Amino acid sequence: MAETATRDLVIERVFDAPRELVYRAFIDPDQISQWFGPVGWSVPRDTVEIDARVGGDQKFTMVNDDDPSQASPVNAKFVEVIENELLVGAETWHDPELGEVEMTGRFEFHDEGDGRTRLVITQGPYGEETVEMAREGWESSFTKLDTLLAG
Amino acid sequence: MSTDADDRLSLIFSALADPTRRAILARLTEGEATVGELAQPFDISLPAISRHLKVLERAGLISRGRSAQWRTSTLEAAPLKEATDWMERYRVFWDANLDRLDAHLKKVMSDRAASAPRGSDPEPGMNDTTPDRTTRNTNRKSTRKGKSHG
Repeated sequence: MAETATRDLVIERVFDAPRELVYRAFIDPDQISQWFGPVGWSVPRDTVEIDARVGGDQKFTMVNDDDPSQASPVNAKFVEVIENELLVGAETWHDPELGEVEMTGRFEFHDEGDGRTRLVITQGPYGEETVEMAREGWESSFTKLDTLLAG
Repeated sequence: MSTDADDRLSLIFSALADPTRRAILARLTEGEATVGELAQPFDISLPAISRHLKVLERAGLISRGRSAQWRTSTLEAAPLKEATDWMERYRVFWDANLDRLDAHLKKVMSDRAASAPRGSDPEPGMNDTTPDRTTRNTNRKSTRKGKSHG
């Protein structure tokens, strides 16, 4: 039971595009504002600040199309960057109960050959600890996603 | 803005964030236990275990007996279900997100194919893609480089 609840979260998808392009879609502000966020949400271009190097910013805000007062910011720093291969972003904040909490999102770009790319998203490299971080970090997003899915 | 359900989930995930507490929960899947029994495998004090139990109880992940002396802890399954449900929604979020990325990449690819080869362009396909959904592209700052070596 506990094992199920704290299982690592891994999401994979193969794209019919070379990995340079897939990678770029994650670090190019123009492109992020074009694709990121579920349907019904936008990422305004002027909220996006991406500096894809260790210590650089990974910032953007998802805004609800119908109710722009609903906004869901991501405010992370890159902790690992290998061009065209790997992006790891971490968001750190202080939790009164837990102290310093860090949410980590790991994006691996694997060359599958034939111009295809396998993207592997792991919610943190440190196993189940990151579940909590995922929860905190994406909480506001999913509050709204809940509404979206219920509607 | 945050609902009761959100607060409860925050408590659940906060409680699950600690390896000792997860070990306690794993132990409780085998049946109820006293603080002393729960403390046995750990190199930490009884008060520390009690604090962990308090966090778990607050999250609704365990219930504790009334008797102060032989107070046993019991696993509560429902909140764990909530936690896994939440993670499932995270997956749904990324599925929807990656659907859009897929469509976006197809557009980038076809735009690239349509234009002249620009292999040496540091930002290929960047300015010639049409947004597949209108975003507020008003303040188009270009001070940030989209690409740099780490």
